[in-house]
Amino acid sequence: MRKTLLRLVANGAAIGTMWLLAPPLLGQDEPPSQPGGRGGPEGRGARGGRGGGRGGRAALPPAGPVKRMADGKPDMQGYWNAGNNGGAVFEVQKHPRRMQSLPAGDGAIVDPPDGLIPYTAEYAAKAKDNFDNHLADEPELHCYESGLPNQMYRQFGFQIFQPAGYVVMNWEFMHAVRIIPTDNRPHSVPASAKLFQGDSVGHWEGDTLVVDTTNFNDRTWLDSAGNAHSDQMHVVERFTPADERTIRYEATIEDPRAYTKPWKVAFAFNRNMQPNYEQMEFACIEGNTDVLHYTPDAGGKAKSGAK
Amino acid sequence: MRIQLTALMMVAGFASAAVAQKGYTAPRTPDGHADLQGIWEVAKSPDRDLEASKLIVDPANHKIPYKSEALAQKKENAKNTVANDPLNKCFMPGVPRINLLSYPFQIFQTPDYVALAYEYIHNFRTIYMKRDRHLPDIDFWQGDSVGHWDGDTLVVDVGDFNDQTWLDKAGNYHSDQLHVQERYTRIGPDLLQYEATVEDPKVFTAPWKIRAELKRDTRPNARIMEYECQYLAEEAAKKQGK
Repeated sequence: MRKTLLRLVANGAAIGTMWLLAPPLLGQDEPPSQPGGRGGPEGRGARGGRGGGRGGRAALPPAGPVKRMADGKPDMQGYWNAGNNGGAVFEVQKHPRRMQSLPAGDGAIVDPPDGLIPYTAEYAAKAKDNFDNHLADEPELHCYESGLPNQMYRQFGFQIFQPAGYVVMNWEFMHAVRIIPTDNRPHSVPASAKLFQGDSVGHWEGDTLVVDTTNFNDRTWLDSAGNAHSDQMHVVERFTPADERTIRYEATIEDPRAYTKPWKVAFAFNRNMQPNYEQMEFACIEGNTDVLHYTPDAGGKAKSGAK
Repeated sequence: MRIQLTALMMVAGFASAAVAQKGYTAPRTPDGHADLQGIWEVAKSPDRDLEASKLIVDPANHKIPYKSEALAQKKENAKNTVANDPLNKCFMPGVPRINLLSYPFQIFQTPDYVALAYEYIHNFRTIYMKRDRHLPDIDFWQGDSVGHWDGDTLVVDVGDFNDQTWLDKAGNYHSDQLHVQERYTRIGPDLLQYEATVEDPKVFTAPWKIRAELKRDTRPNARIMEYECQYLAEEAAKKQGK
């Protein structure tokens, strides 16, 4: 297994976990390059590293208060990146260094206090099997949307739009989308509808956007390490802007089949302060050869095994 | 439901002369523009064959004005559309094809953007309303979209295409010189007129134009669902033991 993953790093082409390991991606605090919007002199190719959004922070004045929409609700529109979340995209729970490619981290779980997912026996076994035998089945390697809460700590950032009656989120990664109506509507898709991103309905409680999401399928993972949920998952999220550049985020995850009790993640989103930043088009399946880089013992299709 | 559908079809028929329903004025967004927001789907998808669909309104013969060598390429494409159609690989459809599939999409408007969220493989187009030119030296599957208002019509200029998408299932195609001007006009409460003028000096002898009508999903609390092509293809392959 270890050799399999080393081979992956050498190929350097995977979409999921391994993308994050490319040197430019680890440089989260490196200065951003200008994206060359508005027909500026620099081509888009000059963009360089993907650490975007946090660079230049030292030169910024203190953050102002939360921006407001005309109706007084917080204005969260703009580009955002998941802030420090203890390596949740690798593994959402507190984790030791699993192997070369999955470094140790505290994860993003704040409840229970041990930082671990309170699995049922069935789903503890499923997660272990995913990690031991099926890393090439990581849904993102197959260009699937990430589901919750995984979507919220996925890389490359996202844009929030607030048209009347909705909060819409669009990630550059996999052009994933969440459409959240905020008109107090009930869930109205049938229970039989099983969706990668679930069915989200939202409402405002003061300055906090509360989003209730049901109707998940069981085909998404919680992270790149194979942590799992069933189609009984129910997620309640709270987005609370703290200032113009920060949104505090909490998600409570319950799933009576997979977990013995609800558990909670918390971290923050940081506003991308690059002027003229735009998201680019992330083509996934259009050029995806990831499973060709995984050896058969990891569920992939590489012609030669790891030697 | 049947009565409602019939009524909708009658409305679509009456409006097909590209005239707004009598006395209709679109509602306004807070910044005063026509409100096009809602979930829309083409009334009758022309995707099987754009030319046969007769949605090409210019030229009058409904034919795409190919250059002779390009027509040969189209005929080559048509020999094996199952293998060659990029949609059969779950690729992004490009523009205008994505608006003309039998899958709905939702329009959102803010002062700075119009966003189009598609049920078809969660494709998403951001139309930049505050940028007036295309990005230099880059190609996109879905092109780069910049928009402005011509009265109550949203006009979107789409450029920066790659040459990897087709225009329909029949092998109609374009080069990376494709340039599309789209016009979105709400001509009734539940009807959106969509026009696309298509030009590509490498492939066509002249610009040509599509006109189609999109109907609105009027069900309460309607939402677009998920059509995840790659997932469905993989599940089907598993069932066949591949």
